[in-house]
Amino acid sequence: MERKDDIYTVNLFRPKKGYMRDEVVIILAILVGWVVVTFGFQLAIRLLCSSPQGCSLVTRFYFFNLPFHFWFTAQFLPLWFVILCLIFNVFVDRLTEHHSRRRDRTYE
Amino acid sequence: MNSQPVQLWPLVVIAAVLASFILVGLINKSREGMEYGFRGRYIGRIGGGAAIASTWMSAASFLGIAGLLYLKGYLALAYVIGWTGGYVLLLVLLAGQLRRFGKHTAPDFVGDRYESSAARLISAVISIVISVIYCIAQFKGIGMLFAWLFAIDYTTGVTLGACAVVAYVAFSGMLGVSRNQQMQYFVLIVSFILPLMVLARKMGYFWVLPQFGYGEAMEELASDYGVKLAAPFASASLFQWWSLCFTLMVGTAGLPHVLSRFYVVPNIRDARWSLVWGLFFIALIYWSAPAYGVFMRLFELHAKSVPDPATARAIADMVVIDTAIKGGLPPWLIGVLAAGAISAAFFTVAGLLITGAASMSFDIYYRLLNRNATEERKMAIAKGSVVFLAAVVLMFALKPPGLIVEITAVAFALAGNTIFPAFVLGIWWGRANRQGAIAGMLTGFLITFAEPLFGGIVPVVAQIFPITSSAMFGAPLVIAVMIAVSLMTPPPSEEMRRFLAEEVHGHLD
Repeated sequence: MERKDDIYTVNLFRPKKGYMRDEVVIILAILVGWVVVTFGFQLAIRLLCSSPQGCSLVTRFYFFNLPFHFWFTAQFLPLWFVILCLIFNVFVDRLTEHHSRRRDRTYE
Repeated sequence: MNSQPVQLWPLVVIAAVLASFILVGLINKSREGMEYGFRGRYIGRIGGGAAIASTWMSAASFLGIAGLLYLKGYLALAYVIGWTGGYVLLLVLLAGQLRRFGKHTAPDFVGDRYESSAARLISAVISIVISVIYCIAQFKGIGMLFAWLFAIDYTTGVTLGACAVVAYVAFSGMLGVSRNQQMQYFVLIVSFILPLMVLARKMGYFWVLPQFGYGEAMEELASDYGVKLAAPFASASLFQWWSLCFTLMVGTAGLPHVLSRFYVVPNIRDARWSLVWGLFFIALIYWSAPAYGVFMRLFELHAKSVPDPATARAIADMVVIDTAIKGGLPPWLIGVLAAGAISAAFFTVAGLLITGAASMSFDIYYRLLNRNATEERKMAIAKGSVVFLAAVVLMFALKPPGLIVEITAVAFALAGNTIFPAFVLGIWWGRANRQGAIAGMLTGFLITFAEPLFGGIVPVVAQIFPITSSAMFGAPLVIAVMIAVSLMTPPPSEEMRRFLAEEVHGHLD
């Protein structure tokens, strides 16, 4: 019973060797980039601001006509998500090709 | 708004746009029948992206975000980020794996993965509840638009709007209209951005890209009138911002009608790339939406008629249209904008009502009540369900409980608290079993409605699980419940674990 459990273990944090492990590495890297930039930036504004009414360097500095933090959240972050998805797809495409070739199998 | 006359030109434009959708759908249908066979034609990655974006665009995107920005400033960006960032989660954690699993509705996946008809039933009911809540928000938008168009009160407007939607669904269903989602997206984006460009030009801002041009308007608001829409945590704390944003993100990955879009393109690779295009197309709208809210504030201050907070809240969901009117746009252009809003709401409602009705007929009636049902019987049940669901939605929409975006957020919280954990653990943890899934989904359902249910008795519940943003703590808690219950009960069948390990995660090993 226990042995069979080992053969078919699927766990995000203990991926099995091969395609899954390579894929999980990319996934976790993208997720880190997603969490840090999205939630980290909001934390940074909060920490830099003495009052909630907009106050620090981040909010007084203008960029594309908009206060920097507003531009970053409203316009850069959606773009950043597109970039993250793009990077993910490029790497997964490569990974899939690499593993397909290794298996000597036509693509998908 | 009631003092206004009937909006003749906008009505003409809206009728023309809706009629042209039906007409093009009919032409496409006959052409597809001749050239491409019944499976439909291959629409490519960009076309797939436009299909994702047009499925996604609803009254919440079209009317809601600008309204909230007008009211609460920076808080509205939590919606922009939540509804775009969620796609990252969806792409990296679920899209490819779910497709390899081969099930494209939540009840199908949950029922098969957890090998349980009880789990299937629960997820079907939850999907239907999500659809209903989402539709209430759409109905509110439709009701306000109809009230304005026909110069009638909201109650009559929303009733009339509900009849119009059901009639549209029935009519296009009867004719077998195929949905041309690329055309839908094109109409939506043009109808949203063209009026904005004209507005920006009239006001003397940088109009070629009004997405950047509205910055000058914000500066004017801040320097001349002291209205700081950009002030980061003026109307909500950092925690409230975070939890709202996170809730919308996990909800995006669990919404019933988004998932099936991955099946309109023929392979996983194209599905992944069409998602990137879809996200870009969605971002185009969200980059522009705040501009309407900012312009509205400026118009009010120029005209020296700033409404009190209660009135502002009441008109917030019509800010996009009101901005166009106050900006003095020609009636036909206001009509184009309104046609975009109506189409967004109509198609979202149509999609949700149809999937909800199909789920009632297949997952509940056929699977549970009558396994011998004939095709005609199932079809009749589905048709009846459309009307039934629309009536339920209308009942709630008569007295809308909040802003469009707030109502929508509850649907996202429910998806994030129930379907998202069931998907993520189902794909990424082979040990997750039926007992865990059932316990988790029921917990998630309770958590979503914890504020109205227990908030009065235990005030801290209202702070941890606010109704619009309960998934921040809710989703992790549900995942914990699922893991704990799964570990206490026997593992799923060997067959399912092998399928997960070899097909879903080992297809190239």
